[in-house]
This record gives sequence, structure tokens and C-alpha cells, in this order.
Amino acid sequence: MLMKSNEMIRLENVSKVYGIGEVEIKALDCVNLKISANEYVSLMGPSGSGKTTMLDVLTTMMKPTTGKVFIEGVETTKMTNSELASFRGKKIGFIFQTFNLLPKLTALENVMTPMWINGVARAEREPRARALLEEVGLGDRLNNRPNQLSGGQKQRVAIARALALDPNIIVADEPTGNLDSKSGVHVMEILKDLHKKEKRTIIVVTHDESIGKQAERRIFIKDGQVVGNKGDGNKVCQLSGTNKIK
Amino acid sequence: MKINTDLLEIPVRNLRKSGTRTFLTLIGVIIGIAAIVSLLSIGQGLNVAVEKQFESLGTNTIFVIPGGASRGLSTIKLTDSDISQLENVRGVSTAVPVYGAAAIMEYNGKKMNVQVSAADGKKSSIFESTGYFDVQEGRTFSKNDSDAVLIGDKIAHTYFDRNIIPRKIITLNGQQFTVIGILKPQAQSFGGGPNTGTSIFMSLEAFNRIAKDIYPSIIFVKTFSPSDVNYAVTAMKDILEKKYGKKSITISSADELLNQVNSILGLITLVVAGIGGISLLVGGIGIMNAMITAVLERTREIGLMKALGASNTTVLLIFIIEAGLIGLIGGIIGVLIGYGLSIIISTIGSGAGFALTAVISTEITVGGIIFAMIIGIASGLLPAIRAANLDPVIALRYE
Repeated sequence: MLMKSNEMIRLENVSKVYGIGEVEIKALDCVNLKISANEYVSLMGPSGSGKTTMLDVLTTMMKPTTGKVFIEGVETTKMTNSELASFRGKKIGFIFQTFNLLPKLTALENVMTPMWINGVARAEREPRARALLEEVGLGDRLNNRPNQLSGGQKQRVAIARALALDPNIIVADEPTGNLDSKSGVHVMEILKDLHKKEKRTIIVVTHDESIGKQAERRIFIKDGQVVGNKGDGNKVCQLSGTNKIK
Repeated sequence: MKINTDLLEIPVRNLRKSGTRTFLTLIGVIIGIAAIVSLLSIGQGLNVAVEKQFESLGTNTIFVIPGGASRGLSTIKLTDSDISQLENVRGVSTAVPVYGAAAIMEYNGKKMNVQVSAADGKKSSIFESTGYFDVQEGRTFSKNDSDAVLIGDKIAHTYFDRNIIPRKIITLNGQQFTVIGILKPQAQSFGGGPNTGTSIFMSLEAFNRIAKDIYPSIIFVKTFSPSDVNYAVTAMKDILEKKYGKKSITISSADELLNQVNSILGLITLVVAGIGGISLLVGGIGIMNAMITAVLERTREIGLMKALGASNTTVLLIFIIEAGLIGLIGGIIGVLIGYGLSIIISTIGSGAGFALTAVISTEITVGGIIFAMIIGIASGLLPAIRAANLDPVIALRYE
């Protein structure tokens, strides 16, 4: 299997179908997509367009019905659930609209969570978590719990957590959706730095035009298909039974 | 998947952070285990007490009781020649008949019913090691004590409005006797010996003055060694049943009786502990409830953990270990409290004159803790499986 140099994520003839027979819903319809290393991409589309499903599939949280998903050249669609979990933990950092911090843990403990899950050596965890939180400007908030932090601060903890395993890919789902405009700007600045200075691949899913246009490349999704982007066309998919993924 | 100490640390942390809920769930387990442990401990203590009673008589003791299983309804009158025949059985060193009768005791103008026991003075050394004749005041029997009686602690101190002290004269069935000693109070036994607190002991000659037509209510037979017991039992049975008919006599070795009493006690202990186990069952249900609630509340957290790279197995183990830890900690505390309870119960009981001791044994301790842990794990299993199988995408978006 040839990997195009610096290819980070590739979707090949990916479809996601819910239900059977007459009640079939095609959330994704024959999607082909390539995201290269160090790209800053936004995924945009109205609600019901399939952009959430697209996000779930390209982050390997959900397996497509047919087609293949490649992360850093590795085909993930044939992995077992536990292989996938482990792979995903190391390759992709998540940022959510609702932060999804563990409420009973401190900022430090939240950032260390992916580390113990993915087997980072004990001695490394706290220093690394500390450094990450300092990087996002929360060096004085290490021992605060989420309910003691503002929205902007919570999202920054989430960013630090997303960086815990130093992944190449950062995926942010409506990262400013629950933030005031000032915090939103701050968060987007951080994402920009992660892209420009740290050369990571950034994918932002949003319905907000002002957020979406900050990306280098915008991918629009409508009715489960990718429209109007550079480089990829919508190939005609063969939806034969043999391609189906269990 | 690597086995690492995180799988212990993280559940411990999770339990600590849900302090109140963990505590309340723990209480259920603690109460259940404490109930079982204290009951088992007292139960074993009863066994020990009974064994001590029998030990003082010696394992080479045989009880010959005229009549069937029901004492006191017998009309079998064993004669002196019967006793001699028993003593001639191979292996038998001595056969001591004990005579008993109810009598009316009069003292200080009051009349009370008492139990009188007598044995041949020359043979009564068999009872010395039992402590039955230990006195708290006065002295025990010596030669020429044909009018002397030893009276029990309860008779001396509670039956009559005045305490009876040595040298006082009492009347039994109209006959006068001198009290030479007051027996030490004895703990209430369970099938192991007489209740000396309400008994009066005297010599055979004295006994003849208050009861006519006497015959033994029980014969204590001693063999030279424990190995002689089995033959002696069979032989004595033969002799007596030939003369008086089948099932006319009950002959039990001390061992047999001990086993019988112990197995009854054991059964009672188990049943009572089993009832205590019901509260442990409730405790287990409490764990299950707490875990199901935890899984529900932590649905998004579980989805997040999976997004961050946790496998289903990791999630499963975290929840199972949390439940198991509740069982383990509850078990340890429950065992400690259970023993504390049994010590309190046995202290109070002993003070009231019951032979209660609390036994602290490795089996009860280890068994209690492991059992609690198993209950914890079993109760947490289903919720843990549910958690492990949650779809991460759905879990993350759970409201």
C-alpha cells in the first residue's frame, strides 16, 4: 500500500449508512478526502449535512459501513476495537465544544489522564502535564477543578490534554461554541500556534463562518458528500457487499 | 494491554473522589460482614467452651445414662452389682455412679426446691479435675463429712433472703445438714456438665437420709486410656442391654457427646450466620446499585476515556476493581467491627454467667474479607460490562 508522502488522513470511498432497507439513511455518501501533514483544515456544513459523522469516522471513533480510513498511512478500518483505541490515543488529540473535562479531577490530573491510559511512564507524567498547562497559560491553575475555571480556561485545559501524547493531529469540534468571544479568540490563537509553530495538522469542525475561514483550507459537506474542495473529486463509489466493514 | 498499578490507583482515586457515595455503599458491606463475623466468632467460642467442659472430664470418660435419650424418665434401677460388672470390663478403671434427687430446702424460714447430687466419697476423685467442687468460701469434702453439704453459688446468695455462709445449718426434706463450703460460680454450660450454681452436693450416706430407694441417674466411667473407650462402650452396652433390654441405656463417650453437641452448635451457628448473611446480600445489592448509578453518571467520562485511547478491557477493569475495592475495604472494616462486637458480646455474656468467648481465627478473618471482595466483584460485574460496551460516540454525546 503506497503512502503518499506527508499524508496524514485519508478517506477512501467512505460511506456510512444507518438502518436497512427502506429506512436507510446515508450519513456519508462515497467520500474521498485527503488531509496532508501540517494542514489547517476546517470542516463546515449545515446541521444534518453529515459533518459530525464525518468527524467521527475520520477520528476512528466510528467505523464506516464501506470504504477505508488511513491515519498516517495506516489502515484503521480493519483494526480491532482495542487496537484502534490505543492507536487513536496516540495519534489524535481531541478538543470538544463542551470541554469534556473530568469534573472531579484537577487540571493537572485531567491533562495526565491520556498519559496513564496510554502507558506513559509515571515519572514523566506530571512534569509534562505541568509544562503543557504552562504553555496554554494555566501554570497557576494546576490544582483547580473544572468548576473553578472559566469556559476559556476549561478549553485551554482541554487543549493541554489533547497535546498530552504529542499527537500530530488535533481535532476540534466547535471549539469556541461554548465560549465568549474573547476566550474564543484566545483559543483560536492557540490553534494557530499549534499549526504554525508546532507544525501539527489541525482539523476544526464548525458551522461558524468566522471560525471556519481561519483555516487554510475549507471542506464543505452537504448531504453526506464533500463539495467544492481542492484536490479531491467525488469518485463514483462501488457499494458492493464485499466492501462492507463489520 | 499492560497490567500496571494505574489500574489500582485510578479506581482508588475514583472512590476517594466520590467520598460520600463510597462511604454509604461501604456501610452496607461493613454491616453484613460484621454481622456474619461476630456470629461466627461467638459460635466458635461456644464450641470452644463446650470442648473445655469435656476436656476437664477427660477424653477417656464415658457417660452411662439409664433410660433412652430422654434423661429423667427412666425407671431402670442400676444396682451395685451392675456397677461392679461395669468396672470389670476390660480397660475400665472406675465407674462412679451419681445419684440425684429433687429436695425441698429450708433456711431462714423460706422453702425452695433444689437439686441434690451425691456420689460415693471414695470414688469422687474423678471429679476433682473438673473444678465442680472448687469452693469460693469454706472447704471441700474430706473424710468424715457424712453430714456435710456443698451448696451452689446461686443457692447461697440468691435463693434465700440471707446469704448462707459456711457452718450454717440447712434443712433438706426435713433433715439437717451443715454447709461446709460454697461452690465457685460456674459459667452456664451447654451440655457439658451440671449447673452447679443451683445444686447441692453431699456424700452417699448423707443422701440416704433424704431419699429412699435411690438409684443412679448417671454413671461416670473412666477408662485407663482413650484407646480403651470404644471397646468399653460396646462391652458395657452388651452387659446392660442383656439385663434390661435394648435401648434401656444410653452410653456415650465424651468424644461422641462432644461431637453431637458441637455439630448442633455448628448448625445453629451456620443458620444464624446465614441470617446475618442476608444483610450482606443487601450490601451487595447496594454495591450494584452504586455501580449502575456510577456508570450512568460517568457515561460521558467513559466515552471520553475511549476517545483518549482506553480499550473496552481497561474500562471494564476500572469498574470491576472499584467494586472489588469496596468489597475489600468493607470486608476488612467489617471483620474488625465484627470481632469488636463479638468481644463485647462475650464480655457481657461472661459477666452474666454464660460461657461465651469470642474466637478470632484466621479462617473467619480471611474468609470474611475474601467473601466480601467476591460479593463486591460479583455485584459490580454487570455494570462494568455495560460500561465497557458503551459506544464511545453515543457516550460522549450523552446528556
